[in-house]
Amino acid sequence: MLQKKICLLGAFAVGKTSLVMRYVDSIFSDKYHTSVGVKIDKKQLTVDEQDATLMIWDLAGQDDLTRLRTSYLRGAAGFIVVADGTRPFSVETAINMYKEALEYTGDIPFVVALNKADLQDDPKWQVEPKQLATLEDLGAEIILTSAKNDENVELLFHKLTRKILDYREGEQHSSTMVDKL
Amino acid sequence: MSQILSSIFQSMSIAVFLREDRDNFKLLTKKPSWLNTFCDRNFEAGQTVKLGMLFPFLECFMYEAEDVWESKVNTPHRSGPWIEFTQHGEELPLEATAICQDTHSLLVIQDLGEEYYNEVVRLQSFREKSLNQEELQLEIDNKTQEIRSREEEIAMKLLTAAGHRDHETAAHVRRIGLYAEVMARALKWDDAIAADIRIAAPMHDIGKIGIPDSVLLKPGKLTEEEFEVMKRHAEIGADMLRGTNIPLLKMASEIALCHHERWDGSGYPRGLKGKEIPESARITTIVDVYDALIHKRVYKDASSEQSALKMMEKMVGKHFDPDLFKVFIANLPKMQSIKESVSEPARIPGSLAP
Repeated sequence: MLQKKICLLGAFAVGKTSLVMRYVDSIFSDKYHTSVGVKIDKKQLTVDEQDATLMIWDLAGQDDLTRLRTSYLRGAAGFIVVADGTRPFSVETAINMYKEALEYTGDIPFVVALNKADLQDDPKWQVEPKQLATLEDLGAEIILTSAKNDENVELLFHKLTRKILDYREGEQHSSTMVDKL
Repeated sequence: MSQILSSIFQSMSIAVFLREDRDNFKLLTKKPSWLNTFCDRNFEAGQTVKLGMLFPFLECFMYEAEDVWESKVNTPHRSGPWIEFTQHGEELPLEATAICQDTHSLLVIQDLGEEYYNEVVRLQSFREKSLNQEELQLEIDNKTQEIRSREEEIAMKLLTAAGHRDHETAAHVRRIGLYAEVMARALKWDDAIAADIRIAAPMHDIGKIGIPDSVLLKPGKLTEEEFEVMKRHAEIGADMLRGTNIPLLKMASEIALCHHERWDGSGYPRGLKGKEIPESARITTIVDVYDALIHKRVYKDASSEQSALKMMEKMVGKHFDPDLFKVFIANLPKMQSIKESVSEPARIPGSLAP
């Protein structure tokens, strides 16, 4: 079975661990527990009749004391950049982390999760159109997620997996083309 | 290995491995209990194991560790913590350290135990404080934005009231501000200052409030004396806005004073030349002329965009700063979109001007 490593990146307290817990264990806790270091989870899924195992690397959130250790991204087939729709600062961090990650990994598939979408109708939800435009300019597919309400969490991981599979097919196709030359 | 060292490693839950080749590592110490979760019960000191298979996390770290071992540097290199789970589902925080000791390539893996949880508590408290600060900052930003919007609204109402005497409209003053802001942002001004010019530029003619009706509203050409009276609006406006520490009003004052200065020094009231004229005023001069040309006034019809731009081109280097005019032209689509979106509301016959 195809096994792929994916990483979750983002500012602290945006809900990276909650998304993984919701996806892998179908549980959610409202209380904020900060993550320190790396936690790896495994999940099997089927996308377009292709079975795959995701090795999900949940990387501790970035703040003034903890920076992204890019070497953790080694061997990643794709990544999810997570931001919190109620914190414009976290979207800014997501943009910067995406750029930093890409420098290390090269052009690999990624998606952006704009998490805590259960607060979309709350005045707290403050996503600046300028920031969204920047993410879209970077080629990001933005998915509104809520780990709390289980909104689009499975979709998020499936979309990334599909992108990884498409990317892999594209790479195989181009290497076949090169071989034929 | 000495008995003392062995006891220390055991009490610190440390496993020391000797690298045999890229995949295989020999356990040098007594097996710490946490290792039972991942290894065969019979696995013990002196036996070899494929660590990368046991701990997927290490696949990544091994690249960094290989660098340490190859370079034979004595400085230990730490992986940072990672979490595994025991067979009972309990968290097991581990950390690996690559060390080179007397040509031996060693990998030390330690159960961080309490040290890890102390770090979690420290970071949790730091991050909770950061979240509170972020929330407060956001609230301040939102309130500042609210105050700025109110200021803008009040300024626009007052300007419209002042402009009512010489038939300037709310839409005109609003457009001047928006055009000027586009220019400021294109020139990479600081966000807050670019927002200031949006409110300050529309105040450029506020001094007209001090010009007698007989001059301000006179149909046809002004006499030389009347024109001298009219010219005083620049200084009157600057005086009205001067004497404050509010940056926005300071900018408005310099714009009011200098928006009739010309690049070649032929303007008034001071005959300033080139960059002696504040940039904010040089911007306002360009956008004010543009808006005046393309809109109808009581004394003239609206010019087409094309003929307005032709007229303006002739004013470059005399009236306008050539570099700023280039910026204006580069941003023309944005100016046109402002012109389209901020237009005069349809007037109801018999009602007052807006």
